[in-house]
Amino acid sequence: MAQQATMEEAHAQHPAATAGSRAVRALTRPRVLRSLISLVIVLGGWELVGQFVLTNKLFFVPLSDVLRALVELWEKGELQRHIGASFKAIGYGMALAIVIGVAFGIVMGASRTVADYTEVYLNALYSTPLVAIAPLLILWLGIGIASKIAVVFLISVFPIVISTASGVRNVEHHYLDVARAFGATRNQIVAKVMIPAALPFVLTGVRLAIGRAIVGVVVGELFGANAGLGYLIYTSGQTFDVPSLFAGVLCLAFAGVSLTWMLQKLEARLVRWKPAPLED
Amino acid sequence: MALPVAQAGRDAKLRVSGIGKTFHRRDGSLLVLDDISFDVHAGEFFAIVGPSGCGKTTFLRIVQGLDQPTAGQVLLSGRPLSGPGPDRGFVFQHDSLFPWRTVLKNVTFGPELRGTSRARAEDSARGIISLVGLSGFEGHYPHELSGGMRQRVNLARAFAVDPDILLMDEPFASLDALTRESLQQELLRVVAETGKTVLFITHQIDEAVLLADRIAVFSARPGRLMRTVAVDLPRPRALAVKRSARFQEIVEQVWSLIAESHGPEEQKETPGRMP
Repeated sequence: MAQQATMEEAHAQHPAATAGSRAVRALTRPRVLRSLISLVIVLGGWELVGQFVLTNKLFFVPLSDVLRALVELWEKGELQRHIGASFKAIGYGMALAIVIGVAFGIVMGASRTVADYTEVYLNALYSTPLVAIAPLLILWLGIGIASKIAVVFLISVFPIVISTASGVRNVEHHYLDVARAFGATRNQIVAKVMIPAALPFVLTGVRLAIGRAIVGVVVGELFGANAGLGYLIYTSGQTFDVPSLFAGVLCLAFAGVSLTWMLQKLEARLVRWKPAPLED
Repeated sequence: MALPVAQAGRDAKLRVSGIGKTFHRRDGSLLVLDDISFDVHAGEFFAIVGPSGCGKTTFLRIVQGLDQPTAGQVLLSGRPLSGPGPDRGFVFQHDSLFPWRTVLKNVTFGPELRGTSRARAEDSARGIISLVGLSGFEGHYPHELSGGMRQRVNLARAFAVDPDILLMDEPFASLDALTRESLQQELLRVVAETGKTVLFITHQIDEAVLLADRIAVFSARPGRLMRTVAVDLPRPRALAVKRSARFQEIVEQVWSLIAESHGPEEQKETPGRMP
């Protein structure tokens, strides 16, 4: 106990050092090195398998062919067009989902009545593969971007609502008491206690939503579109252009990795107040 | 029996009259507080001691406005209480700082709720933070502080609303002995400097005797006010006062009151330290 207290004091006196070493630890060599080694093995393996094992180019192509296709598509301006279309749909759809999802999640978390009336639908819709109604949305909203935004929104709003609501519901009662003791109004309690306390949950919901949003936009584009990575994959498949098909898939994988990475950075900034998790 | 407002306001900062609290449960009702009445004068340090289960915390929550009494009323500066308010500063028992706010932002929480401009609130918060000896830690988050430092911030946060009375619910209970002693001294100094009225709850008799001008002794189940003991030790009180004969005498007196309320066979369970 006494030892713990001393450690706490030491911690308290050098918080800057802790924050700094956290950043350093994130970039420590072994971790970066392991990622690089893993990347070399996987990508190298892909190239080798494509060159020597699965040589029928109708089924599989080596990485070099895919990279060549990427460059060609870029030079024609096709790649930019497809990436732009997909990201626009993801961006607008997610933005809408975050605004509406967080707002509704807070109401649902704070009001038992609202939760009782709506929870069953939310849970049902959360676990329903909503991409299945993508054709319907395309029928309603056309093959343009509107239907893709709708798909992305619908598929990503539910995890955000549900995790926001559970974040608000899990706010320690104690903090609400403190706020009330200081004379906070209901709105002030929501703004100054519930929202900041629920923020880590909200971000978890957004992270879940990103993965679903990418799936949503691609499926939407498969069913009917005139641009987008899903459209690229679909048309390449129809014309047996396997390198372009893989190029589309590679772009999507990259999008997933980079969006998640960005969110992690954002999370680290926004929830700086949380004690750093213990790392190995 | 409502007292005339003018009379209550004259000498009593806090007038507690006939407070009772009954909790209703499925298996019957439980009387927790029974007919508690006392006055706390302006600038007085008033402590409540009693064994666990004497309803001390419930009582303080009523004064804070977080709970409603089932009988009686509380007057603060002559006005009956209605709900929580910034005229009372609450220092909670447990660690109750908002973890997502820095030290400075925790201290400005109260003024912020009342719409005080950020510059003004932060200005006075810095002063209060230095008063509790935490200058230089304004930008730290609670998890970066030790338990003792966190309770200092709690104290600063309660002071920041410039309350008429400070309500403290066993604020040092979770601290180790050394930290507790230094914070007791700190509290005495800060209260002397600001002249605040304090209502302080503790289960440690020596803590109550060291800090208070008067001590109300509560009995357990239901909580009743047994007697009020005046502490006539001179101020300022350094730690050395604990070794004086008078200090021991008062501790003994409070102790025997609590023991009396328990009956002989339960004495061993009575919390508080044997002198």
